Amino acid sequence: MFTGVTPVSELVADIPRVEQWSKESAVFEGVEILQVSYELAGGSAAFERLLPPALHPTIPMLVQWVGWQVHDSAWGAFNLAQQRLTCRSGARPRVFLVGAIIDNAIAGQALASRWGLGCRTGEVKLTRHYDRAGMTVMVDDDVALNVELQDATVLKPDDLQFFSGFNTATTPTGLRLLQMDAHIDVQRAERYLPRLDDYEPAAWGPLSLQPHYAVTACGAAARIEVPPVRIICKPDQPAFTGTEKVGG
Amino acid sequence: MLFSHRFSTSLLHIAGTVFLQAGGDSYGSCNLKFGIFFELSVPRPFTPTNEALVYTNALEQIRLADELGFATVWAVEHHFLEEYSHCSAPELFLTAAAMQTSNIRVGHGAVVCVPEMNHPVRIAERAAVLDILSGGRLELGTARSSTWTELGGFEVDPDRTKKTWDEFVRTIPRMWMQETFSHDGVCFSMPERAILPKPLQNPHPPMWVTVTSPGTELDAAERGLGCLGVASAGFDEQERRTREYHRRIKNCEPVGAVVNDRVATLNHLFCHEDADIAARYGGQMIGMFGLANSHLLFTREAYPTTAYGLLANLTPSRAPARKTIENPGEASKLPEGVTIGDPARITSIIHQWEAIGIDEINFLLNAFEHIPQAMVLDSLRLFAHEVMPQFREKR
Repeated sequence: MFTGVTPVSELVADIPRVEQWSKESAVFEGVEILQVSYELAGGSAAFERLLPPALHPTIPMLVQWVGWQVHDSAWGAFNLAQQRLTCRSGARPRVFLVGAIIDNAIAGQALASRWGLGCRTGEVKLTRHYDRAGMTVMVDDDVALNVELQDATVLKPDDLQFFSGFNTATTPTGLRLLQMDAHIDVQRAERYLPRLDDYEPAAWGPLSLQPHYAVTACGAAARIEVPPVRIICKPDQPAFTGTEKVGG
Repeated sequence: MLFSHRFSTSLLHIAGTVFLQAGGDSYGSCNLKFGIFFELSVPRPFTPTNEALVYTNALEQIRLADELGFATVWAVEHHFLEEYSHCSAPELFLTAAAMQTSNIRVGHGAVVCVPEMNHPVRIAERAAVLDILSGGRLELGTARSSTWTELGGFEVDPDRTKKTWDEFVRTIPRMWMQETFSHDGVCFSMPERAILPKPLQNPHPPMWVTVTSPGTELDAAERGLGCLGVASAGFDEQERRTREYHRRIKNCEPVGAVVNDRVATLNHLFCHEDADIAARYGGQMIGMFGLANSHLLFTREAYPTTAYGLLANLTPSRAPARKTIENPGEASKLPEGVTIGDPARITSIIHQWEAIGIDEINFLLNAFEHIPQAMVLDSLRLFAHEVMPQFREKR
């Protein structure tokens, strides 16, 4: 079976601890979103090494960098950049978080402790003009990502689709993948041609990803609701045997 | 004359357009017709031996299906779809099939109608040769591909595939029927040339479009194309879509000289006297096929576009389309209408498909060679002997 083969602890550097299952949702209004997708090099054998046994690679596998510019939250404004890999859990489309950087440590702690979204602190800057956009991510004054998005094309809001992610955390029952179901209500959507100007894999985590082919990028203004974690998975088992429900 | 519609359905000429009617005197004299459908899924590792085994087994199944009275053998066109489909040169595979059979029609279904993969002239030429070599047994399916895996691999702009498909299906019949052809279009242009050879069937082979996303059946109806279903929609949804297709095609503006008003669906077949054995092998086959399908990267998932409205692909037995927020630990249930079981169960299910107006059911017989070849052949024989006779000459 075409499936991940690597222990999750070797794939993710910042594994937070989730002490208890929160029952509260978080709602962010008017969020600016940018998402950049590149195909990864290496073929199927390389893709299998980028995932834990619980997940299956897509053919081809994409790395996605997703920026959220949140103007207001219970933890203040924050800018978040996530690095994710397209995958499947069972037969369902998912993305696997392999690094995140945030510019608000308090928000980062909240995201980590409630959804297992482990973040490093850095600088995240999203820009948007009428015909182009961009995302710059810095860690310790070094560039982690710098991407220019050009040639904006307006789309319908429902042309965009976002998929639930899996974050890695230590939970009361052990190391688990936590399914983060962000409900994203898109109010404005556009598509761009991305140009990757600078990328430093080590700034995100242990994986030496090789983005080699630009697929696309999209931008959106959206309301994001993140409900409490409902589903977790054992990282070393397939979804059909390793999935657990939590949070009552 | 010897070969003209030798194996085809009856023809009805109305106002200069030939309507291809279901219910003629061919296809084993069945009203409801049965075909077999090949993705040619190959298990890893992709050794020459494994690849060859899948192809030789498929050809053996086709020879038997021909002897047993199946109507059509279909082969898809897919590229880069590891494990799921290694059927990248279906015209070659179908030529081999045609050379080894006598009656079964050969469904080139579906050729991908985007210029980065196939120039329309090459489609017309290859199809005509296949029609000649098969003795006038060609059915031509058309499609535009639904995965980023394929479109991205050929650097196809997903926004344009509907346009190119439309331009292709409108020009290919003219290439077949006109002595010479020239074109000044949006997706391709060419000076006047004789496109040769011409197909054997007169005026030309029946044409289809693969229907995955809801609404494509209306595109088929408006152009007078057959509806080659490749995603099972469940009884109620399929009935609604079939009814609307038949309503619309009555007022179609046909792209060719033949209106093909048939509706075909895709299903899995594993027939065994022991229902438990059938369910075990057949269920595993569906599960493996669905899992391999899920590994593909669908266009809408990778590339936001209005041109692809549904996150889905060729997913028989997986209706409705996947929801994105679900418990991944829940195994997919077998949907209604899957033709797996003993002859009595399969007969009952097919009666339901027949009742909603389906003209043809095409069957996937195996996946990844999971079911031993001898059992696949026995399944075909049992189906032909116990089930098929109940659908002959009923109307």
